[in-house]
Amino acid sequence: MSGANRVNRWSRLLPALFVVLAGCASIPPSVSELPVAGQAIELEDTPFYPQERYQCGPAALTTVLVQSGATATLEDMVDKVYLPGRQGSLQVELLAATRTEGRLPYVIDGSLAAIWRELEAGRPVLVLQNLGVATAIGDWSRWHYAVVVGIDAKRGEVVLRSGTDRRRVTATRTFLHTWRRGGYWGMVVLAPGELPAAPDRSRYFEAVAALEQAGRAAEAAIAWQAALGHWPGDSVALFGLANSRLVLGDYPAAEEAYRELLEREPGMVVARNNLALALAEQGQYDAALQEIDIALAANQDAALERELGDTAATIRRRKQAAD
Amino acid sequence: MGLLKARGALLRLVSVSIICMGFAQVAPAGIIGTAHLVDKESRAASLSRIEVLLAREDVGRQLEAFGVDRALVVERLNGLSHAELLELEGQLDSQVAGGDIIALIGAVFVVLLILELVGVTDIFKSF
Repeated sequence: MSGANRVNRWSRLLPALFVVLAGCASIPPSVSELPVAGQAIELEDTPFYPQERYQCGPAALTTVLVQSGATATLEDMVDKVYLPGRQGSLQVELLAATRTEGRLPYVIDGSLAAIWRELEAGRPVLVLQNLGVATAIGDWSRWHYAVVVGIDAKRGEVVLRSGTDRRRVTATRTFLHTWRRGGYWGMVVLAPGELPAAPDRSRYFEAVAALEQAGRAAEAAIAWQAALGHWPGDSVALFGLANSRLVLGDYPAAEEAYRELLEREPGMVVARNNLALALAEQGQYDAALQEIDIALAANQDAALERELGDTAATIRRRKQAAD
Repeated sequence: MGLLKARGALLRLVSVSIICMGFAQVAPAGIIGTAHLVDKESRAASLSRIEVLLAREDVGRQLEAFGVDRALVVERLNGLSHAELLELEGQLDSQVAGGDIIALIGAVFVVLLILELVGVTDIFKSF
């Protein structure tokens, strides 16, 4: 390589390097601030599953699942979240696998304070890091899942179960850089009925609704019950509770919850549709069809119109079959 | 041609029904789920049952294409919410996959070393 060429290369590289460093240097204070000064916390009894090649996802997930009291095994989690063709695991699959273990995955706020609060509640936090970096001049990404089990505010350190390290200690600043490049993504595993340390209503509700869609109605019922404890009288939570009962086949209890809801919000068409189903399941077809008529009269939503029509048809068919 | 089309449609139907077989939800037909209120802002709220099934089929095929054992696909699909199925539909390969692979594209060792020394990256510690 000639000298001129070399100079040329560096002259292109150095400005790029400064851009990279400048871009990496700033961590917003809102992310790095802790609720406490000079304190430390560490969940030392968090289990450890050293990872096999590329399998940080299953290892990290097993760690947080077992800590929450689930009976997950590393082999099972490899089957559930490892994607051979990508040599890694997707975030949504970690959430999905948590649900199939009967647990509620909750994505926390992207801040050190949020991690601290979860640790205080006894929950380690599964995080996505990019240990490498993607820049304009090259992509050296190294996506990695690890579990934060401790923060030492005085020494400026974060403690992780990571890869093959049982106790990996990282400078808080470096951790924040790697976490920022992972989109500040972190999740905790909640046992049904447990609330996150700082619950965000819409995110918690989304999480429970997803649990319901994953067919875990029994766990969803407990989670909605807990939501009603925290947000008393919340219509969506009550609707959720009623729905879980309907799916579980507890029709009188479902009916009761729908009626309570409709007393407060008579125009809640979705609740009336499901009330009709709860009634039909109890053989009260005429009362059920009456509810559908009320719903159809009140409905403003074209998409629901079709669903209501379908429900009415189903109930009529069942009524005929019963007669 | 018409026959081929019919065959394609039949195959599609069969594969959809395979994916449906393990469908988690055993609920009274017609129930409107809580997600309808929770996902209000997203397209997932107004998905029809057939759209959900098609998304499941698509994501299931992608999982298989990426090496997931056929027997495990249904179980993995069952944990996903409708919104997540939509997110994955047609773009499983563009999602971040955490797995400790180092993509070394256009590697400039000196740059990496400096980034590591100033504590911006954490790439060189062994696992």
